[in-house]
Amino acid sequence: MSTLLDDTDKAILRAVQSRLPIDQRPFAKLGEELGLSEEEVLARLQALKESGVIRRIGGNFTSTALGFASTLCAAQVPQEKFAKFVETVNAYHGVTHNYRRGHEYNVWFTFIAESMEEIEANLARIAEDTGVEKICSMPAREMYKIKVDFPV
Amino acid sequence: MQLEATDKKIIARLQGDLPLESRPFAALARELGLSEAEVVARIQALSDHKVMRRFGATLRHQRSGFASNVMVAWRVPPERAREVGRALSAFRQVSHCYWREPCDDFPYNLFSMVHGRDEAECRAMVAEMAQTAEAEEYDLLFSLEELKKTSMRYFDREGEIHEG
Repeated sequence: MSTLLDDTDKAILRAVQSRLPIDQRPFAKLGEELGLSEEEVLARLQALKESGVIRRIGGNFTSTALGFASTLCAAQVPQEKFAKFVETVNAYHGVTHNYRRGHEYNVWFTFIAESMEEIEANLARIAEDTGVEKICSMPAREMYKIKVDFPV
Repeated sequence: MQLEATDKKIIARLQGDLPLESRPFAALARELGLSEAEVVARIQALSDHKVMRRFGATLRHQRSGFASNVMVAWRVPPERAREVGRALSAFRQVSHCYWREPCDDFPYNLFSMVHGRDEAECRAMVAEMAQTAEAEEYDLLFSLEELKKTSMRYFDREGEIHEG
């Protein structure tokens, strides 16, 4: 996929994945920084979205700064309860990421809600609804890094 | 930072997809009854106060050359958690790193996401990280299946803007 990107695409991706200028005309400003016209920046971003390289352009927010609580959960889910468990957990809009992993704890998901009490109440309900009792919650004590930029 | 109702509406909108047009905040400003300059100033304030940690494009890793990733759970003494967490974070292949409350029967307390071109590169990187950070007890949790991946929607209800 990356071989289809030319140097201008790569320059744009490098810039926009770390920071789009906060400006009334952000794409014109970005173009100025890269020596490109606003039209060209917009056309290339449109193409990068259509080809699936860019998932989304927008803001990422810090849940705790917005007054929300979050945690990482791990569950031991037996095969016969797997489908029901995933369906139940994924129905919560505060569950944003969920992966099956190769471990005794085989389902790992993140849970964001307005308070830790709400998360714990939801986990208790999930356990009750699915019959999966081994669910542990590991709230963060400290965050050292959250950066989803990659070399392009 | 104390968030006002207008800020919550702006947040609700910015967590979606920004329109690819010359003045992407014009419609939002009109709906909120603000000038574009005011909307931009509020977005800048959200960024300055770290409420918004990033404003930009989210890429699909699989399509940008980082096809493999692994969650690494590390077990370190609490008094070393900060030092090891920072050492792991210094690697550019690490996207996330947290010190977490451990679970009863899962005593690992540091979690990092490590990215690479393939599984072998991830494993080699983790071995190097372990040596550098002097953290020898860890477990690799490769993802076998993505079951859900979305962005959190904050203030969705507050963000509803009623026409007229």
